[in-house]
Amino acid sequence: MQKFTLSEDEQDVLQELMNVAYGNATAVVAEMLDAFASLSIPNIKVIPTKELLQTFQKLKESSYFFSTQAFNGEFNGESAFFINETSAQNLAKHLELQTQEDLDDAILELTNVLTSTLTTKLAQEMSTEVNFSLPSISKIPLSEIENIDTFLQYSQVIVIDTQLNFQDQKINGNIFILTKDESIQWLKTQLNTILEQLI
Amino acid sequence: MKYLVTDDSKLARLSLIKSLKNVAGDVAIFQATNGLEALHIMKEEKVDIVFLDLTMPEMDGYEALPKLLEMNPKAKIIVVSADVQTKAKEKVIALGAQLHMQKPINVEKMQAILEIL
Repeated sequence: MQKFTLSEDEQDVLQELMNVAYGNATAVVAEMLDAFASLSIPNIKVIPTKELLQTFQKLKESSYFFSTQAFNGEFNGESAFFINETSAQNLAKHLELQTQEDLDDAILELTNVLTSTLTTKLAQEMSTEVNFSLPSISKIPLSEIENIDTFLQYSQVIVIDTQLNFQDQKINGNIFILTKDESIQWLKTQLNTILEQLI
Repeated sequence: MKYLVTDDSKLARLSLIKSLKNVAGDVAIFQATNGLEALHIMKEEKVDIVFLDLTMPEMDGYEALPKLLEMNPKAKIIVVSADVQTKAKEKVIALGAQLHMQKPINVEKMQAILEIL
């Protein structure tokens, strides 16, 4: 197995592209919720899948909802979103939702808009396109996180981890974009091309 | 005319500087990677135009913006951010920024900015 790493410059380029993509996605969600989100600096790292699952395990303990969305193309992988119990209840309050079903539906829609806007914009920044496979988005029972086949079949992933944070409404979540073995080399080439064009 | 480009990302700084040189030619350009560094450069160089990112470590753009204007009230601050929320734009304008521009800044956007200034 080839072990991939990202250089400091590659990480910087990816982080900046992610910033731009996340800014767009947040603006769309902020409009949906009629709220203001504070943006944070994304954390980018290449880690073994085992380590990713450990991260997910920790988030699972405080989570209400976990959803994933796969995307395909030259840039392919999976985006994942966690929202905790308190945030879910605050979202229900903010949107005046009455039932559990309505809340689940609202979070799925929120995840859909957030992750698809984010991934589409990130792909666009790298001059490519992504397709979302059906079912495009699904709620994963928290008890099954460690058994998700889609994660287990890869040895290492590039994790782009950032936070959705609506301070006034006390709604926050963790978003991960997971890019797997087959597209890491493609991604590295794209990042270096972008950088070379500027120097 | 002295320019200051403030962004924690090397890519963002290089990209903006490339557009700036393309439009403004060979001008004096200083670089800072966060708000604190920007304040230090402002103190030393009294720059005229500041391109300022919002999300940065150490000191973010929201905190740096009024301090930069306090040090040089004549400076023009252009916020260059990925945060395109309406409230973010309103907030930086209220803090004294001349403009809020969405990243990245290409040549066309830079031309428009410098024409407005």
